[in-house]
Amino acid sequence: MSLPEHAAPVSFEVNGVAHSLDLPRETRLIYVLRNDLQLNGPKFGCGLGECGACTVLVDGVAARACVLTLKSVEGRKVTTLEGLGTLDLPHPVQAAFITAQAAQCGYCLNGMIMTAAAFLSRHPAPTLDEAREALRYNLCRCGTHVEILRAVMLAAQAMGAGSTAAGAATTLEGADHD
Amino acid sequence: MTEPTPTPSALLERTGTLAILRPSQHVRGLVPTAPPPEGALDLFLFLDDAGAVMAFNGHVDLGTGIRTALAQIVAEELDLPLAAVTMVLGHTGGTPNQGATIASDSIQVSAIPLRRAAAQARHHLVALAAAALGVPADELIVSDGVVHPRASGSNAGISYATLLAGRQDRLMLEDSVTLKPAGDYRIVGQRVPRVDIPAKATGAFVYVHDVRVPGMLHGRVVRPPYAGVDAGDFIGHSLIKVDEASVAHIPGLVAVVTMGDFIGVVAEREEQAAEAARCLKVEWKAPPPLPELKDLAQALRANPSTTRVLADQGDADAARAAAAIPMDRTYVWPYQMHGSIGPSCAVADVRDGQATIWSGTQNPFPLRLDISILLGIEEADIEILRFEAAGCYGRNCADDVAADAALLSRAVGRPVRVQLTREQEHAWEPKGAAQLMEVKGGLNADGTPAAYDFATSYPSNAATTLALLLTGRVPANNPVFEMGDRTAIPPYAYDNLRVKAHDMAPIVRAAWLRGVSALPNSFAHESYIDELAAAAGVDPVEYRLRYLHDPRAVDLVKEVAARASWEHHTAPRQEVVDGDVVRGQGFAYALYVHSKFPGYGAAWSAWVADVEVNKRTGDVAVKRVVVGQDSGLMINPAGIEHQIHGNVIQATSRALKEEVSFSETAVADKEWGAYPILTFPEVPVINVVLMPRPDDPPLGSGESASVPSAAAIANAIFDATGVRLREPPFTPERVRAALGNPLPPEPPAPPAKKRPWFALAGAALAGALGMAAVALPIRGAIAPITRPDPASFSADMIARGRQLAALGDCAVCHTVPGGTVNAGGRALETPYGTVYSTNLTPDPETGIGRWSYAAFERAMREGISRDGRHLYPAFPYTSFTRTSDTDLQALYAFLMSQAPVVAPTPEAKMAFPFNIRPLMAGWNTLFLRPGQMQADPARSPQWNRGAYLVESLGHCGACHTPRNLLGAEKTGAAYLAGGMVDGWEAPALTALSKAPIPWTEAELFSYLRTGFSRFHGTAAGPMAPVVEELAALPDADIRAMATYLASFSGPVPADPVAQAAALQAEATASLRPLDSLGGRLYEGACAACHAESGPTLFGVRPALALNTNVHAARPDNLIRVILDGIPKPAARDLGDMPGFRDSFDDGQVAALVRYLRAKFAPNAPAWSGVDEAVALARANPGSH
Ligand code: FES
Ligand code: FES
Repeated sequence: MSLPEHAAPVSFEVNGVAHSLDLPRETRLIYVLRNDLQLNGPKFGCGLGECGACTVLVDGVAARACVLTLKSVEGRKVTTLEGLGTLDLPHPVQAAFITAQAAQCGYCLNGMIMTAAAFLSRHPAPTLDEAREALRYNLCRCGTHVEILRAVMLAAQAMGAGSTAAGAATTLEGADHD
Repeated sequence: MTEPTPTPSALLERTGTLAILRPSQHVRGLVPTAPPPEGALDLFLFLDDAGAVMAFNGHVDLGTGIRTALAQIVAEELDLPLAAVTMVLGHTGGTPNQGATIASDSIQVSAIPLRRAAAQARHHLVALAAAALGVPADELIVSDGVVHPRASGSNAGISYATLLAGRQDRLMLEDSVTLKPAGDYRIVGQRVPRVDIPAKATGAFVYVHDVRVPGMLHGRVVRPPYAGVDAGDFIGHSLIKVDEASVAHIPGLVAVVTMGDFIGVVAEREEQAAEAARCLKVEWKAPPPLPELKDLAQALRANPSTTRVLADQGDADAARAAAAIPMDRTYVWPYQMHGSIGPSCAVADVRDGQATIWSGTQNPFPLRLDISILLGIEEADIEILRFEAAGCYGRNCADDVAADAALLSRAVGRPVRVQLTREQEHAWEPKGAAQLMEVKGGLNADGTPAAYDFATSYPSNAATTLALLLTGRVPANNPVFEMGDRTAIPPYAYDNLRVKAHDMAPIVRAAWLRGVSALPNSFAHESYIDELAAAAGVDPVEYRLRYLHDPRAVDLVKEVAARASWEHHTAPRQEVVDGDVVRGQGFAYALYVHSKFPGYGAAWSAWVADVEVNKRTGDVAVKRVVVGQDSGLMINPAGIEHQIHGNVIQATSRALKEEVSFSETAVADKEWGAYPILTFPEVPVINVVLMPRPDDPPLGSGESASVPSAAAIANAIFDATGVRLREPPFTPERVRAALGNPLPPEPPAPPAKKRPWFALAGAALAGALGMAAVALPIRGAIAPITRPDPASFSADMIARGRQLAALGDCAVCHTVPGGTVNAGGRALETPYGTVYSTNLTPDPETGIGRWSYAAFERAMREGISRDGRHLYPAFPYTSFTRTSDTDLQALYAFLMSQAPVVAPTPEAKMAFPFNIRPLMAGWNTLFLRPGQMQADPARSPQWNRGAYLVESLGHCGACHTPRNLLGAEKTGAAYLAGGMVDGWEAPALTALSKAPIPWTEAELFSYLRTGFSRFHGTAAGPMAPVVEELAALPDADIRAMATYLASFSGPVPADPVAQAAALQAEATASLRPLDSLGGRLYEGACAACHAESGPTLFGVRPALALNTNVHAARPDNLIRVILDGIPKPAARDLGDMPGFRDSFDDGQVAALVRYLRAKFAPNAPAWSGVDEAVALARANPGSH
């Protein structure tokens, strides 16, 4: 509190664009992304950090934007679903979700894709069980889990992780259709 | 990508077009909507000369892929590529009124006219081509929208678009149209990717949550305390008063709107609206108690009902009386939630008697009627624009929030977006109803079923749109719906059969949830036949097939059993997998029958579930589900398969985990901890068996696959354990109880703690202080001066002073939250009353502008204001007195060089006798030891430096040293032995610390520098701003403080890393996420950020097994962090912790606190007085 709460605008980067916003530092990031920057990717699901629907990347690490304050992202790089890739140029994880048809209502999808992208950047060749654990705290009510897991394993394969991921993906397919 | 919203009238004005129309129908569904105007026409299909093809449907896509399936049907009949067709769904201004989207009807019912319209359009276009080309129509074929002669080699073709040039063809939909034979299908029956997924995966899709209209404001609602209850006289009449002043301070607030029990706030920004809703003080009448819902069977039996006999054949009574083995059974289904992942949201623009509503409603036309009643305007003046929302599975709060938005928009005359909170969606969504199924029957001596006398009780209702009830527009009078009869008739040929439905009013707000009453009814049918098979000593599948005569059902049952490698067995096998874990297989079958009784069937479905049960812990894991479905012609098999996966996972979740719990008056579960759903590690392997039936009509597959679920799992648990469960969810507690193996219950809450020390203080005070006071003169004022010129201080001196101010945390107390730094006015709650911090800026009238250095020094060293008044020792002058002269001078220089701010200090509100300031003189005589700090030559310079920082301006002891009855810091061994401040415990910094791993210099440094120690946790409460302020000090000073403080610690741990790992591993191994309320809350609300194995998330991951608060002597800090989170973390690397004040009730907080203590501090004694401490902390939020 060495400075007044509103003293200086908060500067940070979102999807490669620098922003400087004159807002209180305790403002939750999700409101700023959705309302000020009009980015629809992050979704409001619980506001409590429980469901993951609001996930973004902060300096490449998954973060729950419903809980995170502007203060926490000051001077950092934020990536949203829109910044990960686009309709024309999707990120490999997005492409895998499209291929695997991994959505019903799709409301949870932002969280699934962002969490999976962050996870795969750290664990390029996960086993199926590791992928399940990585998404344990991302909730989906439509029951799209099977397609989502398939997408994550597909993405791991596409991102060039070699044989482990490919093998694991086959295991899922095999298990699913045996 | 937004939903297209072409208005039919605009389309129909254009030339170069073909339209297929039908007279508007008056839909009388569950909720009859207004009749259409005379002569009104609905547009079904529209083609133009630019190649556009639009098909209109009144139902909506709930994330089930209806949009894609309907487009497939239209493209098929028109011989167009799939991508050429645009579907427009569920806008009241543009699509036909086809009633509510319920019971997976869309494919079965609403697709039929659309298919005919497409076929009719094709015939018309081919006829036009025949004329244009001079070729008979039956010699023409169409491919990709181009009509050309069948003759090979001919390339004389003409496109639909060309054919329509200059025309304005308007055709009325015919009843009999020649449709394409199924054998010619190229698109229908193909696995087609859904059209919406690319946009959804890239953030380009626009959900209703993403709708923004110009000039839009943000609203939130504040709901009454009778959460989830919607019937009774008190509904709409429970508000006592709204204190608008309680939100006056919130910037951007536009309005507080109250009507009956409806309350909403509107603000410029969303977080402002959220804050206003949180802060608004509202007084309500206490709601009446609910019936005891822990015993659902009893509650349902006691609920008044009327009985409908749905079937009566043979003589059920006589046959039951004559049974060799009578078997009367009771099955109970719990209340469950739809649990949409996104809380409902809507935007409304209500102005000048017109309303436009952007809504995620499942039922656009019924909603329009509701809005019309609510606002008192014509249905024709209301337009509902339907956008996709989070998946709904029946009925969530989508309609409620649309009505809320309409009220708020009307009140402020601007568009308003209302987003419900997670807590509101959980509490108020119409629940899937509880249900009671009672069977009287038995087995004959020859193993045949004697009788099946089945009665089902289902308390569901219309779940009237909430605002209508809260505002009193519609009486809350519990309409009774006849909806308990879905699949009430068992599929088996019982000779003596009676089926009754007890129709009853709701007990809590309820409506249809996927599978409606058919899922519970089938749970009973399919469990019972399994019980009969076991009693008869016959294999369960074989026994079913004896009494199942529907040929498609028989095919399906056999196919699914074969594909699952069904293992023939005549008794529960209880096959041991490993140790306590046993395995079993269970079968169930159902035809989902829906709509008004007798209704009609959707798809046939059968399950084989493989489970593993741990007989010691009661844990049930569904390992694999083989699920078969016969849905006739499959429009999009890929879509059906995904739907089946979704149904299996959701239904498994419901069977294993889900049950709404209630307080005495309301729904208690308000987030995902209290109401958990299936997570990724728990998802079974799912094998889908699709029955190929290309020549049979397509059937709805939205929910059929969920219907056999719970029975298949219960039957599998029976095979694994020999124990029959008749009431989901099959939680570990229930399974253990059924196995006669209950673990010891959680320890009961010990008795209340004794009175806090400060309650005793007042009594002792008058005597002691009064005596001392008379001995001392009242001190004189020090003459005011003119404010010194800041230029008279060196920049260096001011900079040093700024650091010292940070060390002294001046700004922490002398700044109101969000206010100007050091301008004072912050309320400080002490056991003796409220004091307000003073204005430390050099304003001459309200601040310290007229203070000479001498006056400042006297205040710092003796606690006496310039005017001679005594300051309360909430101002820690007993520490500050030890500051060196040079440091005090620098601090003075800094304070005097700040910009002056006019800010008068409010009067302190102290209780007698503390309100008599002169008495403080006596206090000083007793406890003040004025004078600068003296170095200890026996210690290192670093230690001495640390001692100086800690004991003087740092004033650590002010919080961390216990105080005596008169509020003075104790001395000697009590120094730094722990104290209380603002409801928070400042833990002991000495060997008395309860931390499982003693503090070391390194960890103290890390904590003071970053706000986090891996072995102790995160700075929270009053400590967070302290660490934030310390950022101004150099590392060397922080290191010195750590050195000094570490000298009070216990022995340095040998291998703290190993010790920490062991503590964490022990705690993690003991966790029981499904076993108790506390366990569920931890897993759902805390574990994502705190579990050792949780996902890597931004910020620190405090280990609760090491956390000082979990190991503390009292639960206060843990309770406060749970209630209010860490609203302002000490540093930007830590991440943020939300508060759960509005998400958990007191009982839930207490359960969580006890669980955390038991699991993460297993060697510490259970806390006493948790419930009281929770209530106290909730009532006194404090200022941190
Ligand atoms: S909305 Fe952020 S975790 Fe649920
Ligand atoms: S797809 Fe609907 S919540 Fe996951």
